[in-house]
Amino acid sequence: MAAAVAERLFRTSSAENIDADLAALWRELGRREVPIARAVMSNLVVFRDRVAAPDVSVEALMAELPIDEVIARHPSRLIVLEHESGREEPDAPFASGVGIATFGPESARYGVEQIVVRSACAEASLPSIVRRLARGDLPTSVWWTEDVAAVPPLESLVTMGRQLVYDSRDWRDVRAALGVLAPFVEEHRVDLADVNWRRLGPLRRALEHSATETGKPLAAAGARVRIAHHRDEASLAWLLAGALMAAAKRAPAAAPHVEAAETGDAAVIVTIENGAERATITLTSAGATVERARAGSPLVVAMPVESEGEAVAAELRLLSQDTDLHAALAALVRLFAARTS
Amino acid sequence: MTIVIFGGNGDLAHRKLLPALYNLHVDGLLPPRLAIVGVGRKEMSDDAYRAFAKEGIGKFSRRPLDEQAWGAFSKLLFFVNASIDGEKGLAPLGARLDIIEHEGGMKSDRIYYLAVPPTLFAPTVQQLARSRFVARESAAAADAPIARIIVEKPIGRDLESARAINDAIAEVFDERQIYRIDHYLGKETVQNILVMRFANSIFEPLFNQKYVDHVQITVAEEEGVGTRAGYYEQAGALRDMIQNHLLQLLAMVALEPPHALDADVIRDEKLQVLQSLRPIAGDAVDANVIRGSYGPGFIAGKPVSGYRQEQGVDPGSRVETFVALQIFIDNWRWAGVPFFLRTGKRLPKRASEISVQLKEVPPILFNARPDARLDPNVLSIRIQPDEGFSFGISSKLPGPDVRPYPVKMDFHYGSTFGATTPEAYERLLLDVMHGDATLFMRRDAVEAAWRWVMPILERWSQQNGALPAYPAGDWGPAEADRLIEATGRRWRPL
Repeated sequence: MAAAVAERLFRTSSAENIDADLAALWRELGRREVPIARAVMSNLVVFRDRVAAPDVSVEALMAELPIDEVIARHPSRLIVLEHESGREEPDAPFASGVGIATFGPESARYGVEQIVVRSACAEASLPSIVRRLARGDLPTSVWWTEDVAAVPPLESLVTMGRQLVYDSRDWRDVRAALGVLAPFVEEHRVDLADVNWRRLGPLRRALEHSATETGKPLAAAGARVRIAHHRDEASLAWLLAGALMAAAKRAPAAAPHVEAAETGDAAVIVTIENGAERATITLTSAGATVERARAGSPLVVAMPVESEGEAVAAELRLLSQDTDLHAALAALVRLFAARTS
Repeated sequence: MTIVIFGGNGDLAHRKLLPALYNLHVDGLLPPRLAIVGVGRKEMSDDAYRAFAKEGIGKFSRRPLDEQAWGAFSKLLFFVNASIDGEKGLAPLGARLDIIEHEGGMKSDRIYYLAVPPTLFAPTVQQLARSRFVARESAAAADAPIARIIVEKPIGRDLESARAINDAIAEVFDERQIYRIDHYLGKETVQNILVMRFANSIFEPLFNQKYVDHVQITVAEEEGVGTRAGYYEQAGALRDMIQNHLLQLLAMVALEPPHALDADVIRDEKLQVLQSLRPIAGDAVDANVIRGSYGPGFIAGKPVSGYRQEQGVDPGSRVETFVALQIFIDNWRWAGVPFFLRTGKRLPKRASEISVQLKEVPPILFNARPDARLDPNVLSIRIQPDEGFSFGISSKLPGPDVRPYPVKMDFHYGSTFGATTPEAYERLLLDVMHGDATLFMRRDAVEAAWRWVMPILERWSQQNGALPAYPAGDWGPAEADRLIEATGRRWRPL
């Protein structure tokens, strides 16, 4: 569900005048009859690596990312870094724009700041842009909109924040992506938040419910686990594999078998054999369904209805480490390291 | 009234004083019979001076130049070519002032603004006395013309030279006629510190060692040394910023409640704070004071050179462009509460802030998880830019779980009061015209600050090792982080 922007002011700016231009926009809004509160819960640095049109177009940006939805739900000082790493002649920031989007009914209207900076400067200089623009008294999250394997997160940039948000659905090569994230996982440099991980929620809850019903985990250490996934859902399948390994403390040699297959509407289908117990868990866009050979009716856990923007906003509100995600990633890092060696 | 600006065609007048006076004119705050007379060695006609002023106002005024307002304002401006050299150096000035004041129907109430290097303070004042421009207020008749003098920091480069300047001025002017400007004290948010503390019942009860964990005062400059290399090579960050601006801010935050809003009462309380600072001397300097020098780096994505590569700077310079200190105020209110001060050039952004961090809640209930500690409550006073203050608290996130999230109660001058905030010089110049010295430094406070700073300078003068370096665009050297982290705290990012 798209957030309704009540009003948006946007103007081109320059690196030197961003705050002055924002202040002018706030003054302009201050002249409205409707009182507008300045809403800001955090800094949200959105990184995009791309060659785009030479000017800053907020409309184009908003069309490509669900930013309005995110900041409507988690009002943040939005700093969009559009970095052109491919340009042959690196240059300092060459285009900027600032804006304020307002949301909410007239009785409770709030405004959120938006800053867009396009640069082709040396990567080492990018943190200096963020340092200058971020409000230090707020938590900072970095939303990496690129496939981390193709455009690895810059450590100096990412570690300026508390949290790195990404979406593993973008990953084309899971092993390579995990290789990039491994230092962040092993050294706890930053809280990791994977938007894709949220989609495993119903399946993970279904496993917990099943364990309560049977008195033991379905995917206990000794169980044989196969994960078949849709060809576009490899990262989801591997995340699940990591979660199961972490939960059962499985060694890499006992890792679930993961393979692409024809799964119909399902993103993943998990089959578990544990002695006489056999179970199949299917995860679709509607939710997770557990069918056990010995049980009667299947156990169903619904998938929350959540847009991408809502999912990102929800992750931004987590200011602490998601220990389950971290454990799953750590298990996968160990697994791929073992397979490489 | 006549405002006589020595150095009237200099940078300070161009960038600050003339734009400030113009804005006071636009606001209708200047007295009705006023002349502004620039004084300088350079030959300049009144018309040329008006063009000089117009350019400065066009570039640096917080308001755009309005031709109609300018038309009236420009008539107030005059320029006199005069020198303080020789016995009759100021004679042309005296003659011209007599004419201007006579034609304008003014009394000879005069404010002398010394917008000149500190080395010229004493000679200028002596010339004013020699030319009989000044009558001591204490010795003058009640209806005698007003004579006030404004001097800019730096007041000396050490205690001895500060005393020499103060003595020279005191030979001609009474202390109540002297206005020592620290423009930081003219900023709205600095003035608001007193209002915030003593006009609200919520904050003052918390401002003491029982509730405050520590205080941080940061004055960060994004600019490098620029065209001031000559001055800066003789000064450094400790003299340029700590001795005056930051210690004054500290005094405003830490002072006891004054019993009246009277200039001397408030300045007495500030002096008490400065006199309560625990001395830092000898080995304690190394443990509590960190200095650094910026190297090459990036500012907002653009490469910039290091301090020693700047034009006019000695390539082997050991002048500090960054200082961080841990300070204690040994009085009943602040016993044991560390005050961390830092200032530097070529930091990531221009930002000045005072933050008062309250003690953490006990590690139970919502603060029980070691991996998810609550953010402590912080009162932060933003001095510049985006003037205002905020108070950080924890609030429950909407949703089924009880999860605290740090939120802020935030006040912004710009979006609350609408209009642009007056520049510090506007307020300060107006105060001098009204004879209110509350926001100006008194001699005893200036010398108390120098007295406290001197052992640090002396310690540094005995050392000749390399200064810690920090890349331009970073928040100072790693040693500064270690200074505060050794106490279990962290610098607050701005």
